[in-house]
Amino acid sequence: MERLRRVSVNLVELLFLVLLAAPAQAASILGDEWEKFFTERVKFSGYMENTTGLAVSAGNRFFAESNRFVMNRFVIQPEFNLDFNEKVKLFISWRFVKEPRYSAEAKSRHRVVSYFPVAPVQPLPNTFYDEDSFKPWEMVWNINPTDQLNIRLGRQFISWGETDGIRLLDVINPQDGTFAPPAAPNLFNLDETRIPSWGIRTLYTVRPVSNTIFEFFALPGFWDEAKQRVDEIVGSNDTGDLKVRYGRWSAHPETRLVLAGRNAFGNLFANPINPVLCQTATPTKIGCLVIPSTSRELPDAGDSWKIGTRITHSIGKLNFGLGYIWGFNPQSTDMVFKLKGVTCSSPIAAACAGGAAPSVATLRLVNDRTNIFAGHFNYTVDEIVSLPLNTAIRGELAFYPDEPYNISKFPGPFGLRAGPHPRHPDGTVEKNTLRYSLGFDRTTLIPFLQEDPLRPFRMSFQIFQRVILDHEDGIHPFSTAQKIKMVSTNLTFRVSTGYYGDTILPDVFVGYDPAGYWNLNPAVTYAPPWNEKVTVSLIAALYGGHNKFNSLGFFSEKDSVFLKMRYQF
Amino acid sequence: MSKANNRLSIVSNWLAPSLLAVLVLVHSGQIRAAEVELKPGETIGPNNWQRAQGMVGENLLNRIKGGYTFQIKEPKLYKPLKEYVEATEKYSKNVKLGPNGELLNYAAGLPFPNFDRNDSQAGPKLAWNFFWRWLGDDYKTGGATKEGKINRFAIEKDGSERRSDLVSYFIFPRTRYMLDPKPVIPGYENIDYMQLRIDSYPRDTAGTTTLEIRYDDPKRVDDLYIYLPSIRRIRRATTTQRCQTLAPSEFVLDDINSHNGKITDFNYRVLGEKKMLANMAQEHEPYHRKPGDYLPIDEKWEVVDTYVLEVTAKDPNYCYGKKILHINKMTYDNVWTYIYDRKGEFFKEFWGFFKPVNLSDGREVWSVGDVMILNVQNGRSTVVTATRAYNRGYPVSMFSLATLQRIQRGESIE
Repeated sequence: MERLRRVSVNLVELLFLVLLAAPAQAASILGDEWEKFFTERVKFSGYMENTTGLAVSAGNRFFAESNRFVMNRFVIQPEFNLDFNEKVKLFISWRFVKEPRYSAEAKSRHRVVSYFPVAPVQPLPNTFYDEDSFKPWEMVWNINPTDQLNIRLGRQFISWGETDGIRLLDVINPQDGTFAPPAAPNLFNLDETRIPSWGIRTLYTVRPVSNTIFEFFALPGFWDEAKQRVDEIVGSNDTGDLKVRYGRWSAHPETRLVLAGRNAFGNLFANPINPVLCQTATPTKIGCLVIPSTSRELPDAGDSWKIGTRITHSIGKLNFGLGYIWGFNPQSTDMVFKLKGVTCSSPIAAACAGGAAPSVATLRLVNDRTNIFAGHFNYTVDEIVSLPLNTAIRGELAFYPDEPYNISKFPGPFGLRAGPHPRHPDGTVEKNTLRYSLGFDRTTLIPFLQEDPLRPFRMSFQIFQRVILDHEDGIHPFSTAQKIKMVSTNLTFRVSTGYYGDTILPDVFVGYDPAGYWNLNPAVTYAPPWNEKVTVSLIAALYGGHNKFNSLGFFSEKDSVFLKMRYQF
Repeated sequence: MSKANNRLSIVSNWLAPSLLAVLVLVHSGQIRAAEVELKPGETIGPNNWQRAQGMVGENLLNRIKGGYTFQIKEPKLYKPLKEYVEATEKYSKNVKLGPNGELLNYAAGLPFPNFDRNDSQAGPKLAWNFFWRWLGDDYKTGGATKEGKINRFAIEKDGSERRSDLVSYFIFPRTRYMLDPKPVIPGYENIDYMQLRIDSYPRDTAGTTTLEIRYDDPKRVDDLYIYLPSIRRIRRATTTQRCQTLAPSEFVLDDINSHNGKITDFNYRVLGEKKMLANMAQEHEPYHRKPGDYLPIDEKWEVVDTYVLEVTAKDPNYCYGKKILHINKMTYDNVWTYIYDRKGEFFKEFWGFFKPVNLSDGREVWSVGDVMILNVQNGRSTVVTATRAYNRGYPVSMFSLATLQRIQRGESIE
């Protein structure tokens, strides 16, 4: 693997050197006309942004549950475009983030961390959300050797699919869940929360008139250090490094599994070392308890490769594509725990066997390597039986063969809600899974709701479904003892418009899970008529549901409002 | 008695209509006199605003009454390109209109060079002449401006304004006069034009790219794809909502190039001929204006002969009651547009200035320069500097979804 890495790095370095010859060549052609080069060929832009967030439900001033002062995030992102010539262009940007936080928060989190056995565990550091690396955020060489061939090389984003707010085929780059609340595209859009990856993407236009395009990408993954995105839905305790990783948007932790007065989350995955001692209706011995020691198993270089290919084509009004992705699946919601073993919490192993000390289940939170067969289409429907529809319909489909899930037996032993599954001792099971979405987009004029009757309302309705084929009872998300049904559904609706010459811009995103959960992400932006560079937005991220251990109910105690000020340069 | 009756009959049957005709001629002669009397060098302003009456939009006339002053200049004349003239001569003989106003047997050039406004089908014929006027084989709107892009200013009633920049590329794959392959790019026989539009400023909209395809099939609506940098995805959009405003401007989709609707979706009526004040040789680019106001300060205007074309939608729910175009007889470009809402009230007026530009072989052609649209009902206006660079030889592969997939925020695609 190391050899492969060295060879690949050398090859890329060589390629970069060749490419870097381009500006030298440009310089020699331009002679002393560097000023002209910079004036005509170099563009500078970017933005500065400050987002202040305040929790409006739950939370307390000790930051024990939810943080009252959720966020003060300052971002500055300079961007450069260099057009060396018509065939070679470079885009490069940096992202710097500073989130001033208070040590009171860290101390408070420290105080409320429950840990067994008692140990000096550390909460997230105050600088956890900061980004101060000079490594380019994006650095894309855009090369067009011919009119029909395009090569994009460097740290970049690759996005497939057309869904809005929620991702289905857009699973090539990982998403950073640390700073943005989930399902709130009006606060941080997908482009702000994706993490770029080093790699190559090629597009070859086989037949332009029918948009027949062949695409290939490869993201080797080993130039970027794998990052633990703490707030990826579940928080984690690691008995190894004594760090407790509960972040801003971590889901509500499972607290329903209580044994001997203690959190028995670990019993969801494993039995104690000597379960025989616990065979009573209400076991009270400390030895019946299983403590989870959770750590994220980030992929090795070779495991984090991603390769994909796709062909798109149009027939009449129908545009469609078929593709395939192989490699590391970075999506936080697709992670599973894998049980790696059960040990004794005491240095004396006999203490567990005798029921005097709890057992420790070593859990690894992993994203498996996966295959995704992908498809998409879009089509416009003007009218049906003379009824004007004026709607663009789009669909996406992803088939995951053998997708891993956590599985437990319901009910579990000792009266627990769930416990280890006898047929799946490592707590995982693989199932073929089909995910698809249908979206309906249209613009419409609603004159009585507008001061200018021709300002359109843009509306978008989406349905997402996941179907677990050969479904098995007991499949559950990695973080809770909540069963996943064979078919799960999510609906979204979004509407936006502009008032007063598009200076007041309302935008509302609503998510709904028919199982009884919802989220609401309304925003109103003021774009002053006297300056196109400034925007000020007031945004809310609200969640609800009957069960805080499932779906959008995870975040039902994290309702927040935000003020966002943005200056573009 | 019979003689008297005969005389009476002569008077009633001949003299009265003749007198009426004379009166009409005198009346129209008075209007025309005002028009033709405008001489180069003459100044129009609040003291003699009547001399511009009927030759400019209602709103501009009010501004003249209120103090706007300008000079009249010599008309700028352009010669059509010989390739376009040759194509017209070669192909126009067989061109005719179909039962629904569609164009049949059209290959290239001006479809109806011997346009007669008294023709019973004059309306749609003029509309087709407008649609297939010479626009080059391809062009970049904004390509001949100093910055190489379109500058657009949205001006509020109180004078505050916002800038946005963009570029727009057009290609006409089945009416090519100078660039190979000609006259049609194989495979593109059924596409009238393709447009690629890329926003470049301010930063948050930079990279927003639309690909629009107009088909010759009158029943097929345009294709529209939008790349949104905020999600880095291409979205399909419908184009049937032709009346939606292109934020934050006052243009709707059908106002691009003054009338961008599908020709067969509208009814047309030639209202007559008229001399209008226009500017076919814009002197400054962008034209000089006071901040917060759309009026050109030091541009001279000239008298242009136009056909007046009334455009009404076949769809009774269309946003505009009617549009009045003033089509330059020389170039078949539109110089003035009046738009009325569905209640028949004056809604918008806009003018397009033109200016000479050169092809790569040095020949002079004309291009739209600055365009202004004013919504008289809400007081907002938009001024656009959009001078075109023609015949750039864009590859047809540029007008495909691959371009939308590779566009980088702020990047040039040339």
